[in-house]
Amino acid sequence: MQDANQVSASEEFQRGLEEGQGSPHEAPSLPVGQWLRKNLFSNWANGILTLLGALAAVVALRGVLNFVFSENRQWDAVRTNLRALMTLSYPESQYIRVWVALGFVVGLAGLSAGIWANWGGVSVRRISTWLMGTGALLALCVIVREPSVILGSDGKVIRTVDGSLRRESFMDAMADRSTWWLAAVLLLAVGAALWSRFSDPARRRIEVSVTSVVFVGLGLAILSLWIAPYGHYAYISATKSYVAESGRTVAFSTKMPWTVMLILLSGFFFVGRFFQRGRYLGLVKGSSNVLWLISPLTLFWVVLRDPALDYGHVISTDLPMGLAFGLLGGALLWGLTRSDIGEAGRITATVLLVFAVFNWVAAFFGWYPMLQKARISFLLLALAALLAPNFIGEVAKRRQLVLGWVGVTALVHYLATMINTPSTVELQSTEFLGGLGLTLFVALIVVLLSFPLGVLLALGRTSKFPIFRMLSTSYIEVIRGVPLISVLIFFSVMVPLFLPDGMELAELAAVLTGYTLFSAAYLAENVRGGLQSITKGQYEAADAIGLTSAQRTGFIVLPQALTVSIPQLVGQVISTFKETSLLAIIGLFDFLRVANSVIPAQSEFMGVKREGILLVAMIYFFFNFTISKYSQRLERRVGLGER
Amino acid sequence: MSIDDATTAANDRLADRDDMIVCVDVDKFYGDFQALKGVTATIKEGEVAVVCGPSGSGKSTWIRCINRLEVHQGGDIVVDGIELTNDLRNIEKIRSEVGMVFQQFNLFPHLTVLDNITLAPIWVRKKPRAEAEGMARALLDRVGIPEQAEKFPGQLSGGQQQRVAIARSLAMEPRVMLFDEPTSALDPEMIKEVLDVMKELARSGITMMVVTHEMGFAREVADRIMFMEGGEIVEVGTPEHFFTNPTEDRTKLFLSQIL
Repeated sequence: MQDANQVSASEEFQRGLEEGQGSPHEAPSLPVGQWLRKNLFSNWANGILTLLGALAAVVALRGVLNFVFSENRQWDAVRTNLRALMTLSYPESQYIRVWVALGFVVGLAGLSAGIWANWGGVSVRRISTWLMGTGALLALCVIVREPSVILGSDGKVIRTVDGSLRRESFMDAMADRSTWWLAAVLLLAVGAALWSRFSDPARRRIEVSVTSVVFVGLGLAILSLWIAPYGHYAYISATKSYVAESGRTVAFSTKMPWTVMLILLSGFFFVGRFFQRGRYLGLVKGSSNVLWLISPLTLFWVVLRDPALDYGHVISTDLPMGLAFGLLGGALLWGLTRSDIGEAGRITATVLLVFAVFNWVAAFFGWYPMLQKARISFLLLALAALLAPNFIGEVAKRRQLVLGWVGVTALVHYLATMINTPSTVELQSTEFLGGLGLTLFVALIVVLLSFPLGVLLALGRTSKFPIFRMLSTSYIEVIRGVPLISVLIFFSVMVPLFLPDGMELAELAAVLTGYTLFSAAYLAENVRGGLQSITKGQYEAADAIGLTSAQRTGFIVLPQALTVSIPQLVGQVISTFKETSLLAIIGLFDFLRVANSVIPAQSEFMGVKREGILLVAMIYFFFNFTISKYSQRLERRVGLGER
Repeated sequence: MSIDDATTAANDRLADRDDMIVCVDVDKFYGDFQALKGVTATIKEGEVAVVCGPSGSGKSTWIRCINRLEVHQGGDIVVDGIELTNDLRNIEKIRSEVGMVFQQFNLFPHLTVLDNITLAPIWVRKKPRAEAEGMARALLDRVGIPEQAEKFPGQLSGGQQQRVAIARSLAMEPRVMLFDEPTSALDPEMIKEVLDVMKELARSGITMMVVTHEMGFAREVADRIMFMEGGEIVEVGTPEHFFTNPTEDRTKLFLSQIL
C-alpha cells in the first residue's frame, strides 16, 4: 500500500513536470517555488509522500546503475555478440542484402514521412528543459552510483579482511567520472542558456519543427559512431572468434551503412516533401501504400534469401498457373459483375466457396492432388466472387475488380513461388534470419498485412449482407477464443500436414500467416469499436449526397472510425511487436531467445544472461515508447477535426 | 377575392407545371406501428411545400421516404419521373437529384468545410477538383460564410454549420431540396440566418419540401402548406387558407397550440 502511494506520488511529480511546460491553452505556469508548494508540499502528508517518492526513485535508480556498472557484469558478451543479436547466423558475406533491405524500408519510411508527416513544432523552451532535465539526471546518476571496486594489479577485486569489497573513496569516484560530469554540465549549461534566451514573453512561443529536431538527433547519434570510442567488438565467423578492442570507434562496416541509411531517410523525406506540393501526390501516395504492403514480404524472401529459381518449373508450371487464374478468374469476375446477373452471381460464389473449402479438406485426407497455390487461389477467387455484387454497374467499376484480382493473383503466385524455392544463401541453421532482424520483420509484416485484413473483417462483421457477417463473426470469435501460442503451433506443425508431398511452405511463412490471421481478428474488433461510434446521421448524410456504399465507407466511415480507434490500434501494434517473442516457442531464434539462450551457451560467455536481457528489454522499450509517443501526437493532431 | 378563390388560383398557377414528386397511397410501418397511412400528394416543379404537424405525425418519416432513407412498404413514390424501387441504380439517380438538409446538420467532422462540399461533386458527378472548389466557394458566398472554407465543422456555430449543410446539398445541383426540421436544433438567434438562406433559395425557383415548425417562414414563402397528423395528410392549402380559414378541426387545434 505504501509502495503504491510512493509510486503514484512520483508519477504525479513526473506528470507535473511534463504539464508544467504549458500548452497554448493553459494558464501561464507558476514560478518554480510556488509550483512546488502548490503541487508537492501543499500539506505535511503531501510533503512526506513527495519525499518518500523521491527517495524510492533514487533508490531504484541507484540499484539499476549498480547493476549495470557492477564489476560482475560482462558487457563484452553483448558487445561482441551484437551481430548475433541483430541477425543471428546470417552469413557475414551476405550482409549487403540486409543493408539493402533495411535501406529500402528506411527510404520508404522517409518518403511516407515526407508525404504525410506534419509533426508541427516544439518550442525552444521545451527543448531547453529536456536538455536541462537530461543533464540533471546524468549528474544524479553520477552521484548516486556507488564508488567502483578497486582492482589489484592482477585485475582481480581486492577484499578487505572481513571479506567485503574494497571500493575507492567518494571523491576519487567523482574524479574518475569527470567525463560524465563534463557531459552533464555541458547539457545543463546549454539548456540554461537557451532557457534564459527564450524566457521573455515575446520569444517564449518560438518553435522549431519536430522534423528538424528528429533529423538533428539522428545525425548526432550517427556522427557519434564515427568519433566516440564505443569499441570495436565483433564475432568473426570466418575465424570463429570474438574480437573485442575497446577504445576504438565502431567498425567501418557498421558506421558506413548507418550513415547511408540516414542519407536515404533524409533524401527520401525531401523527395516526399517535393511531391507533397506537386501534381502527382495521389499517384505517389498510392504507390507508396502498395510498396509498404508488398515490400516486406519481397525483401524478406527475395532479397534476403536470394531464392534459386528453377526456371524450367517456373515456365512449365508456375507461369501458366498464374496466368490461368489471373485470366480465367478475371473473366469469371467480369461475368459476375454483369448488371443482369441477379441471383446466379450469389449461387456461383457460394458454390465456388464450398469447392474452395472442400479442396483443403480433400488435401488433408489426400483424396486428390492439388497444389497449395491453386487451393489458395480458389479460396481468394471465391472471396472475390462474394465481393462481386458490390462492383456491379459501370465498366470502370467492373474493371476495378478484375484488375484488382489480376494484381492479387500475380502477387500471391509470385510470393508463393519465391517462398517455396530454396535459398542460395549458405545457412548455418534452418532459418536464415534471427535476432532483432527477425523480430522487426515479423512485427512489420504482421502489422502491415493484418491491418487491411482486420479492417475488411470489421467491415464484414458490420455489413448488412448476412454471409459476410456470419463469416467474419465466426472467424473472429474462433481466433479470439484460441491463445496465440496454439495458433503459432498449429500453423508451424499442422499446416504442413495439409500440403501435398514436395510442396512446403517455409516454416516462417506458415507462422507469419498464422500470426497475421490472429492479429487481424483483434484489429477487427478494435476497428469495429470505431465503426460503431459513427452516428447514423453520418451514413444518412453520405447517402443523401449520392455517395455509393464503397465511397461512403472509404471517405466518411473508415476515416472517422480509424481515428476513434487509434489508441486501441496502437495498443494492438505494440502487443504484436512484443509477442513476437513467442516465436521462440516454435523454434525460431528471435531477439529475446538469442539473449536468453544463444549467448549464454557460448564457451566464452557461459551463463551470461542478464546483460543481454537488459539490452533486449531496453530495445523493446525504445521501440514501443516511440510508437506510443507518436500515437499520442497523432491523436492530438487528428483531434482537430472533431467536435 | 375570397380565400378559397386564392387557393384555386394557386392551384391553377401550379397546374400547368410538371409533377416533381408524386406520392400515391404511401404506407410505412415500424413493426406494428403504422407511421404513414396512405399518404397521397403531388408536388409540382418549383413549388415550395411546407409540411407541418405535431411531433410523431409522420412528417419526417414521409420526407425521408422520398430519398429512400426510409423504405416505404406500400404505395408508389415517383421523383422527377423516376420510380423509387429496390433497384439501386434508381435510388442512386434519385439521390443525386434530391438534396437533403438534416435537423442535426450531419456534416462530416473530419473534413474541412470545403471538402464537405466538394466531396460529392468530385466523386459522384466526377467534376475536376478545381471546378468543384470554385463552385463550393461560390455556394459558401451565397449562404453568407465565404471566409469559413478552410475550417472544420466543429469550429463553426450551429447556424453556420447548417448553412454549410445547405451548400453541401446545393453543390450537387439538385432539382429538389428536402429540409427535415432544419432549424429545430438551433439556438433562437441563429434561426434567422438559416431561414434567410432558405427564403433566398425559395425565390430562386428550386422545388422545396420543408418540414418545419417555423410558421412565419411558412406564411411568407410556402406555395402550399400540408398539415399532417397520425400519419395522414389532414389538410392542404395556401398559407392564406391555412392560417385564416382552416376547415379541419385538427388543424385549428394545432394552430391554436402553436401560434
